[in-house]
Order: sequence, then structure tokens, then C-alpha cells
Amino acid sequence: MKRILTISVLVLSCFFFVNTSFAQNAAVKGKVTDAATGESLIGVSVLVKGTSTGVQTDVNGAFSVPAPANATLVFTYIGYTTQEVPVNNQTTLAVKLSPEAKELQQVVVIGYGTQKKRDVTGSVASVNGDQLTKQPVQTPTQALQGKVAGVQVISSGQPNSNPILRIRGTGSVLAGANPLYVVDGVLTDDIRNVNNADIVSIDVLKDASAAIYGVRAANGVVIITTKRGKAGPAVVSYDANVGFREVANQILLANRQQYVDYLNVASPTKIASDDKSPLTIPGTTNWAQAVSQKAFETNHNVSVSGGGEKNTYFISANYIDENGVIKTNNFQRFTIRANNDIHISDKLRFSDQMSLSRNTERPVDVAGIYGNVYRAAPIIPSIIDGKYGNTSAWSNVGNPLLQLDKKNNFTLNNRIQGNVALDYNPVKWLTYHSAFNLDARFNNQKNYSYQFASDASTFTVGGGNQRQDNSSLFVQNDNAYQYQWDNTITFDRTFGQHHLTVLGGMVTEKGRSNFINGTRQDVPANPDQWFLDQGNPNVNTIDHNGGDLFTRESFVGRVNYSFAGKYLLSGSLRRDGSSRFQQKWGTFYTVGAGWVLSEENFLKESIFTNLKLRASYGELGNDNIGSSLFVVTGTPYQPYYFGSTLVAGTVIQDIKNTNLKWETTDQLDIGIDYGFLNNRLTGEADYYNKKVKNALTNIPLPGILGDPDNLFITNAASYRNSGVEVALRWNDKINNHIGYNIGFNLSYNKNEVIGLNGGQAISAGGANGQTITRTDNGHPIASYYVLQATGVFQTAAEAAAAPTNTFEANHVGGLKYADINNDGKIDASDRIYAGSYQPKYYGGFNLGLNYNNFDISADFYGNWGNKIYNGKKNSRGSENDNIEASYANSRFTTTKPSSTDPSTITQTTPPSTYFIESGAFLRLNNLTFGYSLPADLLKRAGLAKARIFLTSQNLFTAKRYSGQSPELFSTDILSQGIDATNYPVTRTFALGVNVQF
Amino acid sequence: MKKIYSLRLTLLVACAAVLSGTLHACKNYLDVKPQGQITQDQIASDPNQAKNLVIGIYNVFYIGGFDPDIDSFQFVIMTDIASDDADKGSSPDDYGDAKQIDNLQTSASNGVVNNVWTGYYQGVARCNQALDKLQNAQFDATTKNALIGEARFLRAYFYFNLVRLYGGVPLIDKLPSATEANSDKYQTRATAADIYKFIISDLDFAVANLPAKGATDVGRANKSAAQALEAKVYLYTKDYQKAYDLSQAVITSGLYSLVKDYSLIWRQKAVNGDGGNNNAESIFEIQAGINKDCSAGINLYTVSQGPRAGGKYGWADLGFGFNNPSTSLLNEYETGDVRKAATVIFIKPGGTILFDGFRIPGQDSVQNSTYSYKAYHSRSAEDNCGGNTDRLPKQVRILRYADILLINAEAAVQIGKVGDAQNDLTLVRTRAGLTSTAATLHSIWHERRMELAEEHDRFFDIVRQDAVEPGRASAAFAAHGKTWKATAALFPIPQTQIDLSGARLTQNPGY
Repeated sequence: MKRILTISVLVLSCFFFVNTSFAQNAAVKGKVTDAATGESLIGVSVLVKGTSTGVQTDVNGAFSVPAPANATLVFTYIGYTTQEVPVNNQTTLAVKLSPEAKELQQVVVIGYGTQKKRDVTGSVASVNGDQLTKQPVQTPTQALQGKVAGVQVISSGQPNSNPILRIRGTGSVLAGANPLYVVDGVLTDDIRNVNNADIVSIDVLKDASAAIYGVRAANGVVIITTKRGKAGPAVVSYDANVGFREVANQILLANRQQYVDYLNVASPTKIASDDKSPLTIPGTTNWAQAVSQKAFETNHNVSVSGGGEKNTYFISANYIDENGVIKTNNFQRFTIRANNDIHISDKLRFSDQMSLSRNTERPVDVAGIYGNVYRAAPIIPSIIDGKYGNTSAWSNVGNPLLQLDKKNNFTLNNRIQGNVALDYNPVKWLTYHSAFNLDARFNNQKNYSYQFASDASTFTVGGGNQRQDNSSLFVQNDNAYQYQWDNTITFDRTFGQHHLTVLGGMVTEKGRSNFINGTRQDVPANPDQWFLDQGNPNVNTIDHNGGDLFTRESFVGRVNYSFAGKYLLSGSLRRDGSSRFQQKWGTFYTVGAGWVLSEENFLKESIFTNLKLRASYGELGNDNIGSSLFVVTGTPYQPYYFGSTLVAGTVIQDIKNTNLKWETTDQLDIGIDYGFLNNRLTGEADYYNKKVKNALTNIPLPGILGDPDNLFITNAASYRNSGVEVALRWNDKINNHIGYNIGFNLSYNKNEVIGLNGGQAISAGGANGQTITRTDNGHPIASYYVLQATGVFQTAAEAAAAPTNTFEANHVGGLKYADINNDGKIDASDRIYAGSYQPKYYGGFNLGLNYNNFDISADFYGNWGNKIYNGKKNSRGSENDNIEASYANSRFTTTKPSSTDPSTITQTTPPSTYFIESGAFLRLNNLTFGYSLPADLLKRAGLAKARIFLTSQNLFTAKRYSGQSPELFSTDILSQGIDATNYPVTRTFALGVNVQF
Repeated sequence: MKKIYSLRLTLLVACAAVLSGTLHACKNYLDVKPQGQITQDQIASDPNQAKNLVIGIYNVFYIGGFDPDIDSFQFVIMTDIASDDADKGSSPDDYGDAKQIDNLQTSASNGVVNNVWTGYYQGVARCNQALDKLQNAQFDATTKNALIGEARFLRAYFYFNLVRLYGGVPLIDKLPSATEANSDKYQTRATAADIYKFIISDLDFAVANLPAKGATDVGRANKSAAQALEAKVYLYTKDYQKAYDLSQAVITSGLYSLVKDYSLIWRQKAVNGDGGNNNAESIFEIQAGINKDCSAGINLYTVSQGPRAGGKYGWADLGFGFNNPSTSLLNEYETGDVRKAATVIFIKPGGTILFDGFRIPGQDSVQNSTYSYKAYHSRSAEDNCGGNTDRLPKQVRILRYADILLINAEAAVQIGKVGDAQNDLTLVRTRAGLTSTAATLHSIWHERRMELAEEHDRFFDIVRQDAVEPGRASAAFAAHGKTWKATAALFPIPQTQIDLSGARLTQNPGY
């Protein structure tokens, strides 16, 4: 491999040659207007063809460019068709540019090539970059929320978190249900390094047409295309915003009195037997408030683009500084990008797309902190005069504020992502493309825990178990490289009415990663000394080093054929090999057909501007599991002593499926694309049926086989996702002052397990030692499987007469459960299915309005038909844990009996429908007001464009769920929807500018 | 210019085409070996690795805590806390699963019951893996049979505890293939008698092939260990003659003697040559030590039973405070029995000074009033691994000479050799600072309780004795303030395991 690289680089460098020319000529003047409205167009690029000479039109649409009398001028403007105008000895030109008929001419990226949207037979959705940048969010994925039918995005308020994306439902349990991301040809599963402002468009391949990325396309593909320069003078853009983030819907926990009242019932001996010292200090601590903060955020982006006819460039730099809403949590990211195109000759083009990102973060242990926030007693102060309240002395829960302050974790991530590519056209209809892609990561981590004692030096009162006897330092370095080499040949030719595109190629991929880490005790607290060598070398030293290696190899082929622009056929075939399976090779394909009805004579004069029927069917693969899971391995150096001699044992532990193979997905898609009324109303509708076979899954093993985690990875399950998606867009201009647009999309999805290892269900999630979800035949993945709560016992007689409860004794104020199997006792066999977190419906709508220089837009997102399990209410670590204020008010008491809410929730309260709530919500994701400076002002300032805006992300959420947020960020598919310890959802307010000159 | 270009272009395209081809020609491109792990095949072909697999079985003793468990916290719950020797301890509501077991109200979904089940079968699986690879290993017959003997000794130990806890259990007698693993043969319960038969065949082999004490590494299973364990097994099968013969063989070997000072048995270091780790009395003992990453000790064994002191509701100083010697146990000690003070840490109003000089504060700062001294590991006078207290290198004594003397005594009484029984009993009582009493079944049983208190055998003893003399368990638990029921003699088969077997595992009566 290394040698191949060297040769390629040598060969490429031979051809690195740039051609430029200069000339002195008379000025050609003129004005550019919109062909339809007659409006002047500002900032149109005017280029003398074949040179790098060019200007931009001014605020009146006027230009003046020196050009020879026989030259041709090229006029380019975003959203308009490029026009070439011969000068023909004229000195003044009046140029009218026509808006691009977007829906017809729009080009979509379909993998190893592009296609006109009208020729596409698959289900591909596109989102423009400007849709992404207007939201003050970190990742492109998050900005997609509510924009595309069939795409569900679950994001977290935590800085630098990777949002969960589901295209057409949850299609895998073990091999990851996230889609494949392709950034300018680089395949990846993480796009947190991509600057939103660099993106031209995002294309989402939702159906089997994704099979062109067969190797990992089963969950759909998200293709990200970054900006490139356009020939013309340099365009400089500066976009920035500054604002703050805060916790949206801060959780309300019980106050002092509510807590004490509760404890008197839940743990009467606690109040009576304890020395009551905490009770003597007055005041209530709101622990959620105590650990949260209002957080500053800012985002600055500069880009320069332009170029001559032979070479163009796009260079950008971006800086994000975003503090978390949990104290001590912060994040900074710096990215730069350089995209260049160099036409070495008419036939040969060299291009590169390179990005570098570097981010630093002080992360927090969300689960640990929030676990304690929910549990800590409100009668204990958080901090007084530098001394922390001693929650653990009271109830065995650490003080979460102290937890934050006594940990100093630092993460530094560097990532280089990009490619160099060569395109060769020996003849116009044939392209040979070779791209070498690289995704390299270099990460550093330093976690420091300060030493502190559980006595009065740290706490207001000593005692308890929260302490750190020895300071500890953990250091980790890791690096990962992924190479991928694409070689394709594309044949693209029109013969009369026939248009044929044939693609053939090969892709090879190799990924390698390494980590090395160490832990030492007693490293001094001074950050300058945070190195392993500063720790005690004699005790408790832990060092680890490991790595991973995998390869893939694929042969790719695709044929697209259209006749008269009406009848469309396409097909692709891939042969994929993956080192991760015993049965290494898989074959994946797709076939598609389309019929553009609006091109038929009988519809030519109708209200339809565009009408297309399309269908596709294909099979896709998924190999997104760990390496070598099919090889039985041993672990050496397991310690034991014989007398005082340390000896090394070997252990063969994990039971493996030595015949592991591809997880495959069959997908049928039938769709319609339509445009009415001169394309003011456009949209798509799709039906899909997606079946996953041989799904990689962890099968629980009986204990008798002795597997350490009692899990076995194998191809066992089958799932189905079927549904309907509808998208509508209305775009209109009432007059020259007012324009508006409305977008709407809605998806319905039905997820079902249709086969699971002969009926062996998988239980997951838990509260009080009992599982909550079950993944079984005929039910959605991770359905809640719990007891059915039917109310609360009001009298002792009622409690005595009820079936025996095997979890906790029936008592007045206790929950009543339905004896489903009528065996006279309430036990695990009385559980019922009670919904899942997967929404039946989800979607968004977007509104935009322009009035002269003002613009306003609003994006809504919501889902319904799903359920949330209030796990933090159910889970009790101790009977002294705090409760939520809403429950404190509604719970059963002798003076205020409740027929719905029990008097206490204890460590033996089993999971039941009592804890299940509706997950439906509607959120105003983004609201933005903008004002663009008027033309005359811009002229005086020497600017091409200037806009200021005020924006808010997540301004309000209408929800029925009693917890903090109905949007639950959980990467564990089998226990999704259980609200345990989530990072708080945030609301952002920001003020920003967009400037171009 | 143009010409040069096209020449170069042709060259480039040709190069690229060739390179693509070359890459593909790398035939083994997709054949990637696991990184940083040795494969089963490598192990099978290396005799040293086969040897290491046997050492790997011993390493399984270190699992436990709140995870699958063999001889740690949860095993203590199912043996001591379940018995009349100890109360659960800690704060009243701490650890609901332990509370169930303490109150003889164990449910089938109890996590402790499941973790001990899976822990023991992990041990069995390691034995079977080692035995599988040893089959073809190239050793001389003696070495090979000794290694096989060790693996079979350990497998017998694991099954002995399984059968005593759960009754008949699935008999995994070898490394099952993928198809065998799900067969009824393995997924259903064998009878208790079959399990005992299997244990005895393993131990017969071990007795015949293991080297004697001194001829093998300290800490490895030896011939006496196999004899001692088999003697104990025969008490449970009421095969008293064999129990007598095997225990007699250990006694007459002359390789073991009683430690003079009872309290020194559980110390790490000998005092004047008496006691300490692997002392004169130790027949089989879980070994531990201080390695660099503090992983060579049983997880949470000591800290879970350590005094819960230093702030009433904290577990700051020594431990979680579980497994408190019970009033019933304390009441049974005779006056002058030195074992009482060596077994129990008493929390006194003014504080308690332990053997190493460590002072536990007075009762007002400590959760419970008694703790197990036998599980104590000194943080100052004995080896420690930095501040890591989870895996303190406490060596748990599994089989010791006094136990064998009492097995011998009990078997002797049953076969009418009262004179031998009297000798055994007198030896044990004399060391305890007591005068001799007549050797009867009752006096020997009393002695077993006193001698072996808090050594994780009491629950099994009550159940066994109740089978010999019905009513003993009822009486014992009544004195302990609990109500005995016959079905409590066996723990439930974990519900999780019944579910995973597709209901092929049947539940014990009463659950």
C-alpha cells in the first residue's frame, strides 16, 4: 500500500501545472437584470471566458470589465442559469438572466456521480446549505431536523455530541442504525468535524438507490457536498453570531418540605433515628439549578472563494466557542477547509477537498452528575463559603457540584478529512475518476481527579463516602486512519432520444486505529505536572494499549438509461468484501424505473409542471460491527498467585459465532414527484417497505455456557420498517416586496420485529433490578414490557383482597396491578406491551416570509404516537432519594388520597405503565428575524451583501411529558426511550451578521 | 506541450489501471487477523498456553462483587447471610436482594442468585476450555494428568457449590459445540445424584493424579485438597465410610497440622512461624497478591464485609458493612472460647482497636455492632495496593485442616469409630481454649458451627444436618428469629436462566 501511495503522489506531482494568462483590453460595460422581474442583479460574477479576468455587478447591477472585442463573457449567479454572451465588438451589453427552473434542473448527488433530479428513480431528498447555516447549531445533522421527510433526528444539548439520525426507522440493533455519511466522497460515521457554513447541499439517499454504497448503506446515506470556488473575482464572506444558551424546561424537584413529608412515609426510621443535624440547617437546594449555568456561545466563519477559468478555490475558517449548560462544561472547535480545482488541461482535472478540525472540550460525566442531581436531598446545601454540603453523609449520594469541581477532564481532537482526486476525460463522454480519501484522527485525553477528604476540610460537616483518597491522572492518546481509494470509469452519452450513463469501478478501504493510555495516582494538582511520570510509579499503575484493523474491497457498477426524458431505468450492482465476517463477500443491487408523465403529450398543457412516478427495489448491506468478532480469541496474562509468585493465566472466554455474515436490507420504494402551478407547489410522496434480514444482534446466552457477559453476536433477527412520507413546498412572490414559502413534511413509520432467533426475546433497560423493554416478534424494537398499573389501593381491605404482589407487599397508597394471567399473583408473567419510543408520526414545517429588506422564518419539528418511560422516577437508589415536585404534589397521602399516584416509589417498585407517558411534542426549532441592509447603504460601505439577524433555537416546546424533555438522546437502541440521565435540552438566543464583499 | 500532456496522461492512466489491478491481486487483503489478541488456534498449538489455561481457571476466583460471583460478596450472602450465623448488615434497606435472602424470602428474579449461577458456570466453562485444549497438548503423561487433575478438581469444586445451592443443575461436562449448546442435554437440569456422581468422578481422577503437597506450587490444587474436598462431598451423599477414609488419608499424610493461635489463621503474615497465608492448616486457599494494576484479588470480598464506619451513613473507612455475626451465633459460644474474639469484631462504645492497631470509632459513628474478623484485611500491617480497596489481597481459606478433622469426626461417629471422633474433637477444642466434651453428632455439629463460623459453609451445614435429623433447620432459624421452610433448602433457579432456556429449566419447589 505504501509503495502505491508513493507512486501515485509522484505521478500526480508531475502534472501539477497551472496555466494563467493576462491581457490589456478596452472596457465592456453593461447591466444584468432578472429576465422575469427586470430587477437589477447584484453581485453577478462576470468573467472573460478563457481568462481569470472578471468583476462582479454592483448594487445597480452594472459592471465594467476589460475584454477584447471578440471575447465571450460568462455571467454566473447563484439560482440563475449561467449565460455566455459574445462581446461582438459591442461596448455595452444588457444581460438578462433567467432563474433556474430549480425542480427540473436541480442536480442531486447519487454516489460516485450526480444526476439531474428529474432523471432519478430513487428517493433522494436534498437540503441546501443556507437552510443549515441559519440555525445556531454545531452539526449539520442537527440542522437537518424537521427538514426532510423520513429522516428523524434526535439531538442533545451537550456540546460536541453526535446526534442520532434514523432514516426510515430503526433498521438495526447491533450494527448501528445511523446512516452512512459521505463527505465529498469520504465515507464516515461522524460529521462533527464539518463546518455547516462549508456545505453546499446535503443529499439523503433514503431507499435502495443507496445500494451504490452497498457496504454500509442499509440505514441510508447522507451525502455532504462542500463548496467550491466559481470562476470570478474573490468573494469574501463573513458570518458570525454570538449569544447564550440556557437549560430549557429546568426540572423541578421536591423542595425541603415536600422531601421531608415524603421521607416521613418512605423511610420513617431515617428521620426518627438520624441525629437530624442536616434538618437543622434551613433552606432548600435546587440541585438541578446548582449544577447548571447560562452559557456563552459564539460562532465565526470566514470564507474566500473565486478563481480563474483553469483553477478555482474555496478556503474557509471557522471558530466555535460553546459552553455547556452544566457547570465546567465547555467546547471550542476550529476548522479550516481548502477546496481547489485545477484544470491541468481540457481533459485532465485535479482537485482536492481538505479539512482540518481541532477541538478542545472539558466534558462532564452526565450520567453521574444527573444521577445524583435527581437523588440528592434538597435539605443539604450545595456549597457554603467554599465548603460543600455533605449529601453522602445523609443519603449515600455524592454532592454533584463537588463531583464537577473535583474532576478536570480535557479532550483534544484533531481530524484531517479530505481527498485528492484526478478526473480524466480522454473524450467528452468518458471520465476516469480516481480519488484517494483520507480520514485521520489524533486524539488526546487527560482526566484529572483532585484529591479530597470526606472531612471538614471539604464539607460543611465531615463523614460520608464521597472522597478521593489519592489524586489520579488518566492519559490517553489515540489515532485512527482510514484510507479509501475510489477508481471509477463513467460513460455518459446521448444517442438521439436515448441517454445512457454507465459507471464501473472499484473501491478499496483500510482502517487502522491505536490507543495507548495510562493511569497514575498521586500526581500533583498543578496542571503543569499532569503527566504520568509525575505520579507514584509503585502503586496501582495501569497501562493499556490496543488497536484495530479492518479492510473492505468493493466492485461497483451502475447503469442509468432514459428515453426521451420520459422513461427512466436504472440499476446498480456491487460486490462487497469485508474483513469483519467469516463469509466475507456479499452482493448488493438495486433496480429502479421512472416515468415522467409531465413529458407526455396528454399532460403537457396541464396544471402539472412536473409529474413523475418512480419505483425502486434493492438489497443493501451492513457490516458496522467490531472487527474479528467471528474469531475465538484468548486473553493472556490473567493474574494469579502461586504462593508469592505472580503467574499468568490465559482465558478463552467469549463464545463466538464463527460463521458471521452480512446483515442485509431489502427495500421497496414507490414514489411520486410533483410540481403544480408553474412549480410554485412542489413535493414528493413515497411508500416504502424495508426488511432487514440476518440482522446482527446480541443474543443473550444461558449462564451455563459461561460467557462472561452472557451475550453472543450473531445473525439472528429480522425487522421491518414500512411507512409513508409526504413533502410539500409552496413558494411564491406576491409582488416585488413580498415573497413567502411554506414547507411541510410528514412521515409515518411502523417498526416491527418479524423474526428473532426463533422467538427468543431480548430484554433491556432497567429500574429497580427489573428490565423495562423487550424486543420480540410482532412488536417494535425496544417496546416497553411492564406491569399494568390500574390505580392505587385506597383501603386496607382493598389491598388485602388483591392478588399477592411478589415485588412488594400490597398496601394502602401502593400501586395496583392487573393480574394479566389470572394466577392470583402479580409477577413477571403479568407484563404487557405498552408502546415504544419510536414515533409513529414525525415531521416538520417551515415558514418563511420576505418583506423588502426584512425576513422572518420559523421551523417547527415534532413527533407523536410514541411513549416515554420515566425511568428516573421509577429508579430508586435508596429510600432517601429525592423526588420530582410534580410527583410530590400528586402522590397519595392519607389526607389527600390519590387514585393514580402511589404514596411512595421504592427500590422494590417494579416497572409498570404508571411510569409511561406520552412522547408527543411540537417544538419551535428555530425562529429568525433578519434585516438586509439596503443597496445604497451597501454601496457606500463597499459591501455586496450585509444582513443582521436575531435567532433563537428551541424557543418553546409543547409537550405532554412531565420530565425535562421528550427528546431522549440514547445511543443504546434496545433501551431507547427510558428517561434516565440526559443532558438538559438547551435553548439558544443569538445575534448574528452575514456579510459578503 | 499538448503532446507531452497526452503522453503523460496515457502513462498515468496506464499506471492507475495497473495499480488497481495490483491492489486487487493482494489475495489476502480481506484476511485480517484479530489485533492484540491470541487466537484459539494459536493457543491450541502451544503447550505453554495449554498450561496457562489451567492457571486461567484459578483466575476466575477473582470475579465477583456485584457482577457474576464465585467466592465473593454474593456467595457470602447466599451462605453466611442466608444462614443463622449472620445478619445482612449495612443499613436496613441497603441491597434489597441481600435482604430477601437474609429473610428466607428469595424470589426467582433475585439478582444475587443469578450472578452466583453465572459466576460458577464461568468457572465450569474455563475448566472445560482448559480440558479441551489439554487433550491434544504434548506433555509427558504425569504432567498432563496433573494439569487435567487440577482442572477437574476445580470443576468439582464449582459443581459441589452449585449442587448445594440449587440442587440438580445442567451438567456441562465438556466444551459444547454450537449445536450441542442449545440441546436439551445441556439446557435441562441433571439430577442432584448425577451431579454428585460427576463431582466424584472428577475428584477420583484428581486424587489419583495430583501431586502431594510440596511436590507442586503452593496454591495449586494437590492430592490432599482433592481428598479433603471429596471427603466433604461424601458427607453430603451420606457415604460416611468413604468420607472417613478420605479425611483419614489427609490426616495420616502428616502434611497438615493445626495453627496454634486460631486468630492467626486469617492473617496475611505468620507470627513466629504460626498462621498467615498458606499456613500449616491450609489445604486449599484462594491466592492473591499485589500486582501493578491491583487486579490479583477477589473483587469486593473484604470491602463488602468491612466495618461501615467513619460517619454513620458512609462506608468511608473499611467497607460496606455486610455479613454481621448474629446474636444466635454469639449466644452459642462457650465461655472461654478464643474463637469468639477471633471471628467477630465487636463495636464498643469507646471504639475498638484491631490487631494491627487500627481503631474503629465507637458505636455512634458505626452502622452495625458486629463485623466478620475473618474477612478483615489490614490497611497498614498487611500488603495493600495503593488506595485500591476493591481487590484487597485477602486469601480466602476454602479447605483447612480443622474442617477435615471435624468431617473425619462426623464420619467416624456415623460408622461407629467414636474413639477417632473423640481425638479429632479434642484437637479442635483444645486449640479453641476449651476442655474436651464427648464426641456425639450434636457436639460435633456444634463444634463445626463455632469453628467454621463466617467461613461460608454454615447454610449448607444446616441443610445437610436437617436431612440427617429433621427439625434442626427449623430450630436454628427460630433461634435466629426467622421462620424456616423446607423449600428454602434450595435457592430458586434464576428466572432469567429459565427464560433463556426456553422454560426447559424447571423451577425448584416453593418459588
